[in-house]
Amino acid sequence: MSLNVDRASMAFSFKGGMLPMTVMELTSADPERIREQLAGKLSQSPAFFQHTPVVLSVEKLDEPHLALERICAVCRAHKLLPVAVRGGTDPVKQSAWALGLGWFPPQEIKSRNLESVAAVSEAPVDKAEIPVGAASGGRIYRGTVRSGQQVSAQEGDLVVIGAVNAGAEVLAAGSVHVYGALRGRALAGIHGDHQAGIFCRELHAELLSVAGNYKRLEDIDPRLLGQSVQVQLSDDQLSIASLA
Amino acid sequence: MAKIIVVTSGKGGVGKTTSAAAIATGLALRGKKTVVIDFDVGLRNLDLIMGCERRVVYDLVNVIQGEAGLNQALIRDKRVDNLHILPASQTRDKDALTSEGVEKILDMLGKDFDYIICDSPAGIERGAQLAMYFADEAVVVTNPEVSSVRDSDRILGLLGSKTRRAERNQDPVKEHLLITRYNPSRVDDGDMLNLDDIQEILAIDLLGLIPESEAVLRASNQGIPVTHDAKSDAGQAYTDTVSRLLGEDVPLRFHEFQKKGLLSRMFGGGRR
Repeated sequence: MSLNVDRASMAFSFKGGMLPMTVMELTSADPERIREQLAGKLSQSPAFFQHTPVVLSVEKLDEPHLALERICAVCRAHKLLPVAVRGGTDPVKQSAWALGLGWFPPQEIKSRNLESVAAVSEAPVDKAEIPVGAASGGRIYRGTVRSGQQVSAQEGDLVVIGAVNAGAEVLAAGSVHVYGALRGRALAGIHGDHQAGIFCRELHAELLSVAGNYKRLEDIDPRLLGQSVQVQLSDDQLSIASLA
Repeated sequence: MAKIIVVTSGKGGVGKTTSAAAIATGLALRGKKTVVIDFDVGLRNLDLIMGCERRVVYDLVNVIQGEAGLNQALIRDKRVDNLHILPASQTRDKDALTSEGVEKILDMLGKDFDYIICDSPAGIERGAQLAMYFADEAVVVTNPEVSSVRDSDRILGLLGSKTRRAERNQDPVKEHLLITRYNPSRVDDGDMLNLDDIQEILAIDLLGLIPESEAVLRASNQGIPVTHDAKSDAGQAYTDTVSRLLGEDVPLRFHEFQKKGLLSRMFGGGRR
């Protein structure tokens, strides 16, 4: 009886969302230098600076204390709206909160956490992996990626020589290549690389995602199932094409 | 040093205990000194399947906690000489098992036995992890259905990471696939996954295929491992399985639907 009533009287509901967000990766903490660069950018592409929300990433900075308030003021003066800070020390976090900004943990640590979760719950992943050249930072994984396992390449491509079974997850900063059946979840371009793709010998994937744009098994054209395919992003849409 | 084999599956009700009992019996019948351990603390069943439930005095947990000696807890099988059973506790819970305790018991048993069969509980929690942790080989019991295959896949992942062999970077646990409750006619009808599909997903060697059989339920209820029922299809299939475990090359049987011929229809054919 009460379900509809409750819904009508609800002031809001929480929904998960993935919004595109510009990250401003700071390599200097000096507000003056930031101001100079912003001024240059503003004259080049004024369209970008329309109260655009940005996340200030201070991960690359090694400074315990930041003139966060001044940096924010510089941004606002150039029609950028800082909404959150990513990374930094505890004082940085406190001052972000004091300024009414959100705070995100640094991405490096987040990815390390993912890896350690994978390592604790699963797979001595390293054993089967050989780094592909130091420059690309990719990974080759030999063997079946089994249900509950997660194999990731935080840099470059991930190559799986074997199948990815249902309930398994493979992730890469670059592309994901599966020389076998892909029955689990595959996420390419996890740091936002729109050029990344997913390639597999036999498509049965539970989920395909490139740079956050995803398709579930249900959304995939059934005619493509079982086929050898490539998945790429075109106009923010996943396109799946047969390789046969 | 004994070979430690864990019988595991992830999913419950697929035939782990039946298989552990049947394989242990088969090994003992082949002259191997064998002990089968029930790791399902709190839900012990192995003693029933082995038909020794009236002779349980002490159990695995008693031995781990030093309340009984190992020889007091071991039950000698009535039918086969070199077969022993180490029952689980029904009144404790799985937290009573400790890694050190299990290791100590396995070390002691290893001196006297050729094979130690560990009957794992269902799930992937502590009991199941301890049952597999010290294993040299694993028999992964799988039914021809999607959920069982996925759970087996999960278990195979754990065997590759959460075992002593994996942690010490030794040769990996040797994994064997045992398909149980296989009904070829239902496979032909598309009700069940077929052998090839299961093997393709799990990608490990097939140790044996046990047909769905009335003999299994009968054996469980009588407390006589089905390996003793040499006339039954399931009994023969377990005997084949044991031979393959011992490294022999035995052709696969019972995986194809046999239409009954005129003669077998007239005379009733073999016992199923």
